[in-house]
Amino acid sequence: MSLVRYVVPALLGGLVLWAPLAAQGTIAGQVTDASNQQGLAGVLLRIEGMSLGTQTRPDGGFTLAGVPAGTQRMRVTRIGYAPVTQEVTVSAGINTVNVVLQPQASILEPVVVTGYGTQRREAITGSVSTVSPVSADVGVLSNVNGMLQGRVAGVQLTTNNGEPGAGAQIRVRGATSISASNEPLYVIDGVPITNTEAEAAGFGIGGAPPLPRSPLNLLNPSDIGSITILKDASATAIYGSRGANGVVLIETKKGTGGGATVAYESYVATASPAKSLDVLNGDEYRQFVQDQVALHNSDPTQGLDSSYLAALGPANTDWAAAVNRTAVTNNHNLSFTGGSEATRYRASLNYMNQQGVALSSGFRRIQGRLSASHQALNNRLRFGLNVTTSQVDNDYLAYENDGGFEGGVFQNVAVFNPTQPVTVTDSTGTRFYEIGPGRQSVRNPVALAEQIQDFGTTDRTLGNLSAEYDLLTGITAQINVGVDKSGGLRQIYLPRLSPAGAEWNGLAQQVNRDNTSKTLQTMLTLSRQFGGVHNLDVVGVYEFSEHRIEEFRAEARNFVTDATGFNSLSAGSVQVTPQSFRTDERWISFIGRANYGHKERYFLTGIIRRDGRSAFGADHKWATFPGVSGSWRLSEETFFPGGTFSDMRLRIGYGVVGNPAVPPYSSLIALAATGDAKYVFGNAPVIGFRPVRNPNPNLKFERTSQVDVALDFGMWGGRVSGSLEYYVKKTTDLLLVVPVPQPAPEPNRLENVGSVRNRGIELSLDALPISRPDLTWRAGLTFAAEKNKVLELGPYTFLTTGRVSGQGQSNQVSQRIIPGEPLGTFFGPEFAGVNAQGVQTFNDYDASGQLVGTTTTPGADDHRILGNAYPDFTIGLHSEVTWGKFDLSALFRGAFGQEVFNNTALVYSTKSNALQSKNFLRDALTDPTGIREPAIYSSQWVEGASFMRLQNITVGYSFNLPGGPGSARSARVYVSGDNLLLLTGYSGLDPEVHSEVGLASRGTDYLSYPRPRTFTAGVRLAF
Amino acid sequence: MTKTHRTLGLCTLLGSLAIFPMQGCTDLTESPRSEIGPSNFYRNEAEVLAGLASVYAPLQAGNFATLWSYYNLSEVTTDEIIVPTRGQDWYDAGLWLEMHRQTWSASSVAGLDFINGAWNSCFGGIARANVLLDALTRLTIPNQAAVQAELRAMRGFYYYLLMDMFGGVQIVTDIEIKPRARSTRAELFDFIEAELLAARVDLPLTRPATENGRFTRGAADAILASMYLNAQVFTGTVTAAGLQPGTARWQDAVNFSDSILNSGVYSLAANFGDNFTATNDNSPENIFVAKHHNSAGLGLNFVQRALHYNQFNPSPWNGFATLAETYNAFDAADVRRQIFLIGPQVNLETGQPVTDRAGVPLVFTDTIGDANSARENEGPRILKYPPDPNHVGENNGNDYVHFRLGEIYLIKAEAQFELGNAAGALLLLNQLRARAFEPDQPLATVDRDVILRERLFELTGEAKRRQDLIRHGRFLNQWSTTMLNGKVDKNGEPYRILMPIPQPQLDANPLLVQNAGY
Repeated sequence: MSLVRYVVPALLGGLVLWAPLAAQGTIAGQVTDASNQQGLAGVLLRIEGMSLGTQTRPDGGFTLAGVPAGTQRMRVTRIGYAPVTQEVTVSAGINTVNVVLQPQASILEPVVVTGYGTQRREAITGSVSTVSPVSADVGVLSNVNGMLQGRVAGVQLTTNNGEPGAGAQIRVRGATSISASNEPLYVIDGVPITNTEAEAAGFGIGGAPPLPRSPLNLLNPSDIGSITILKDASATAIYGSRGANGVVLIETKKGTGGGATVAYESYVATASPAKSLDVLNGDEYRQFVQDQVALHNSDPTQGLDSSYLAALGPANTDWAAAVNRTAVTNNHNLSFTGGSEATRYRASLNYMNQQGVALSSGFRRIQGRLSASHQALNNRLRFGLNVTTSQVDNDYLAYENDGGFEGGVFQNVAVFNPTQPVTVTDSTGTRFYEIGPGRQSVRNPVALAEQIQDFGTTDRTLGNLSAEYDLLTGITAQINVGVDKSGGLRQIYLPRLSPAGAEWNGLAQQVNRDNTSKTLQTMLTLSRQFGGVHNLDVVGVYEFSEHRIEEFRAEARNFVTDATGFNSLSAGSVQVTPQSFRTDERWISFIGRANYGHKERYFLTGIIRRDGRSAFGADHKWATFPGVSGSWRLSEETFFPGGTFSDMRLRIGYGVVGNPAVPPYSSLIALAATGDAKYVFGNAPVIGFRPVRNPNPNLKFERTSQVDVALDFGMWGGRVSGSLEYYVKKTTDLLLVVPVPQPAPEPNRLENVGSVRNRGIELSLDALPISRPDLTWRAGLTFAAEKNKVLELGPYTFLTTGRVSGQGQSNQVSQRIIPGEPLGTFFGPEFAGVNAQGVQTFNDYDASGQLVGTTTTPGADDHRILGNAYPDFTIGLHSEVTWGKFDLSALFRGAFGQEVFNNTALVYSTKSNALQSKNFLRDALTDPTGIREPAIYSSQWVEGASFMRLQNITVGYSFNLPGGPGSARSARVYVSGDNLLLLTGYSGLDPEVHSEVGLASRGTDYLSYPRPRTFTAGVRLAF
Repeated sequence: MTKTHRTLGLCTLLGSLAIFPMQGCTDLTESPRSEIGPSNFYRNEAEVLAGLASVYAPLQAGNFATLWSYYNLSEVTTDEIIVPTRGQDWYDAGLWLEMHRQTWSASSVAGLDFINGAWNSCFGGIARANVLLDALTRLTIPNQAAVQAELRAMRGFYYYLLMDMFGGVQIVTDIEIKPRARSTRAELFDFIEAELLAARVDLPLTRPATENGRFTRGAADAILASMYLNAQVFTGTVTAAGLQPGTARWQDAVNFSDSILNSGVYSLAANFGDNFTATNDNSPENIFVAKHHNSAGLGLNFVQRALHYNQFNPSPWNGFATLAETYNAFDAADVRRQIFLIGPQVNLETGQPVTDRAGVPLVFTDTIGDANSARENEGPRILKYPPDPNHVGENNGNDYVHFRLGEIYLIKAEAQFELGNAAGALLLLNQLRARAFEPDQPLATVDRDVILRERLFELTGEAKRRQDLIRHGRFLNQWSTTMLNGKVDKNGEPYRILMPIPQPQLDANPLLVQNAGY
């Protein structure tokens, strides 16, 4: 800490130099494309060492006034072109300079947001990837996560399922933590945001409720101006204790100044499930039961007795088809931008309404954004304002993340008797068919979808206000205040009529959840060039933030009528004790960073961050996180042979970052009134207070150190560019919930135990194979391979995880965390086959581990490692072709070598479902397993899940509207398809799934919401 | 503006200039709002009562409480309860049949679930008692001695359950969380005995109705009587070869039974079933119960465990059944056989006949063809605790009986028999039997088998069977082999009269030494 306290100010103070006042001139000219000599719009021109710059007009022309006389270096950059730095001798009056830019393979922003400032791409020394929002904003995207898929090497993103606005599991260079979060830090316009759910969790209908939707749904993807992912610790060290899982920096679009521009974008999309659960239809099921009864009649030890005929109905219902639908999505964006040189603004409105491909589910967003900037005092004082406010309405479906013998919609799609109809009509009217009155554990899935009301509404406002003042030339002070406030309301009603609500005679819940985050940053930056060859940027930051979560939950049961639902809790005669809680936490950080560049050849970055967080133990609240990295631009050296390689750069970085994800108060002993502390004395419940955790005063940050070595290269004058990286990261002091010696108030405690290592290589390549006036073709490849290993777990032999879902699967786990093995290791009996009696057999190992035959009752010795949920490698391929007015883009991505546990098949492709007159998946018909066999977790259900997916293909046509009504200047129409093709050997719905079933669990497929195949048609008009 | 805000303002100013931050800018002290530190709590009787409630809470039927873990370990490992795999249902990683076939180990599914759960819930109760006892050393409340006695007795009861399952465990009376070595089983016996003897003096003989369920002197005496009855087991040592018995304490068992019988507080309920209904807090017979209430999270859920899916609302689990040989051991005229459901079934709320899931009338059979693939309707069900007419969901208000006067008759009878007083034993057994038969069917002779059988008739479903079978040397016997259909039968290794220390506990506490044989 003292380092930051004293060194940074000293450094800053020592380097301050007064700039002499001088005469000024104007630079004017045109920037053109080298391939077709056309003028280029939107090119950024900037005088180095000062905050003076402009942008070219649509014809490529520019004027830059107020430039101090003398020799200046002007940097000219545009996305998709090689940057140029040109020396200009400025004298009073107009100095004409024309610049020619060469197209480049990579379509990347030349200036990159790296956290608490920006850097030129060439000067970046850490591992930093960017995504072009322009090329990534295709198809139906409800949030920024979709823009990352397949486009960044080393970022693996698995959306949980096909639900609209679904949450995602995002791993930047793999999982490093076991029980703390593995989610990256999101920073929007410089303000770190907490990824806390904005709405309370749902009500589980016979199992855990579905996973929450993404908290990033507040941000409209078309408002995103840039996305940067900081991958290695030398880069993320700037975020210190919050950087262990990578950092996603999002900058929203800003006003451009100049004349007002209005843009309108709209699309409409239709979606249908790419694949549905393949269950027997009514006729097939009827036939199956009749065959089994016939079998039983000839051999009473087999088949089903004739009583099962009684459950057969007259109908032929495809429950998957009955629950699914063709869903429509509408999206409208209106934005306008403009202002003057001094004051710029951009405002936008978004409306998105996305239906889910399952009944009664969807997502709707109304969002407004305002971004404004103002310069004063001859551009020495700059203000910036960004405000996003949104209302997200979620219509939730009652399905299941996991579950037992009851279930939600998709479980009942799998098991509900297909010989029964969706509705029945009799003298009392038409109603949903159910197998009996009152509460039932097997329920009509259409009725569940239609009857259960589950809504979430989140109002969230995210805003920041910044002011920057140039104290002296090259020295800027900045203050940034950010607020993130969300109010989420979850409303649930399980009607009396529903078999899920009958138990309580109607159950209604309302839960309010308020999250408030406030952040204050003060920053001092210094940027100097000296001796003509030295560049130095130094930044010092103080950051303070506070987060508060408040929740209030009320519930009523036993309703007289279903009419009022959750809107009138007083209509229920049983009031459940309301619950509320509040947590607060606080972060304080001191940050220093210095970037040094020498002759555009050598670059060095040093970062130090001192972080304090309230949730840790009294003596462990503070920790220091350093990062250092350097790069050497070999291609600038005289010995560099040139030839094929036009550019080459070597980067090396090292850093230490932390994972702070522990709940507040974890180090304190405290008493609270909990449900399991209540007791009954006499005839009255007595509120009990008990110690709610085993305090751990030694709790501290989980630390990840990382070494990164990379080679960046450009070939054939930038026609091909790429980087190859190798990294090793090791996480120690893992935050792990582990059993404690008893007696203790709780069985477990959060401790710092064990370590995990990740090693990997990443390759990204961009190519510009064709660049002609009427035809350009860009193509890119990302490749990442990673090995993960749990190095040690302290005293613990293993930890079990990966709960198995389904009837008869209580206490079954599918994964173990074992020292020496990777996270996501499947562990269970090895399936050997089915014997002549139809009984499942498994490899039988003796206590010494020797295979001694087979067994029908596998014991502890027979459990072995069955596979791993982490892919060996992942690839992404993208291609963009522009041919005259047409453009065509495609994105493929794939993952190879991973296994997925098909929990759906384990439980629902077992014929014994028929013993309870339940349906099952078609695969069971040809399965030799006997009808009385239970579903037993084994290697049979752990499947290879390599896949390759055509994520998106888009065809567009751009044209200028002839001077028709209004003054539309440009227009583009396009059609787009998402998830058109999936190549995989995996037998389930989709190999890309995530269910939350325990510590660091991954690769469990249980009745996921089907992933849609989507077709989109859209238009963009700019005035 | 508060001081914090002013300091913050100053920090902003100074921070922006990147000059030396001040103390207020670095304040990270936590002050929870919806929790309270122990040093600010237990300041009055109401707060102490809230602490006491939490010490009793692990007695309940919830998933992690003793009426799930300890109860199942005492019942499903015996011939009283079997949970057969019913098609897809109740396989649960082989858990239930592993318990019934006695093939558990420290890291098997039962080891990681029920055995670990029983360890944690009992020790959790001990830890809660220790936290409150620790606080009581620093404050004064009106009936301090009685509350301290109550806490020590409750802690003693949790230790009694641990001793029964695991043998000797670590004896802890402070609040520090740290690895500690196990005591021997005999040392633990002595500790519990000393605690209960010390506590009983300060415990009231009776309590007002509003305190029904709280510890009394009778409860302490009942635990002591049970300990003395099992003294040869509890003070013996268990090796891989089995039990080396300790000293018998039959006379002490008689004495403490007499203390209860002569206290004038308890009498046998007129109807056997009255001890188990939703209004059984009025039973004159019950000595120590786990209290339940018909409200969310506080009810007894035994109805769910036993009944078929269609027999109740909410839909029960159709799991727990009993063995044909157990059911058939009961005399048809014995009212105590009415705890079983067998034959054609009705919905217990509506009284209407019910069907199984396939739609045919539900008829519970006495036998289970194959425990690995039983049918929905196989096996008689134990419904000793009938549904509460005012149940709320799964929550029935029946109090679960740990000790009642009926068992005290049986304890005294068995101890008297072992002391050579067969006539006295017979008299007591027949006094108890008189309630079960109309007309009376008194026993003519008594021997150990008669006593064990009488305990089965009286106490089936009361979590006594494992302890009784071990004391009578029958725990490792084979159950009916026909039911198990030729599949792997129980191992019957002699060391299985103790449960293994679960693997997570061995990992967490390196000073623990595993029980012999495991």
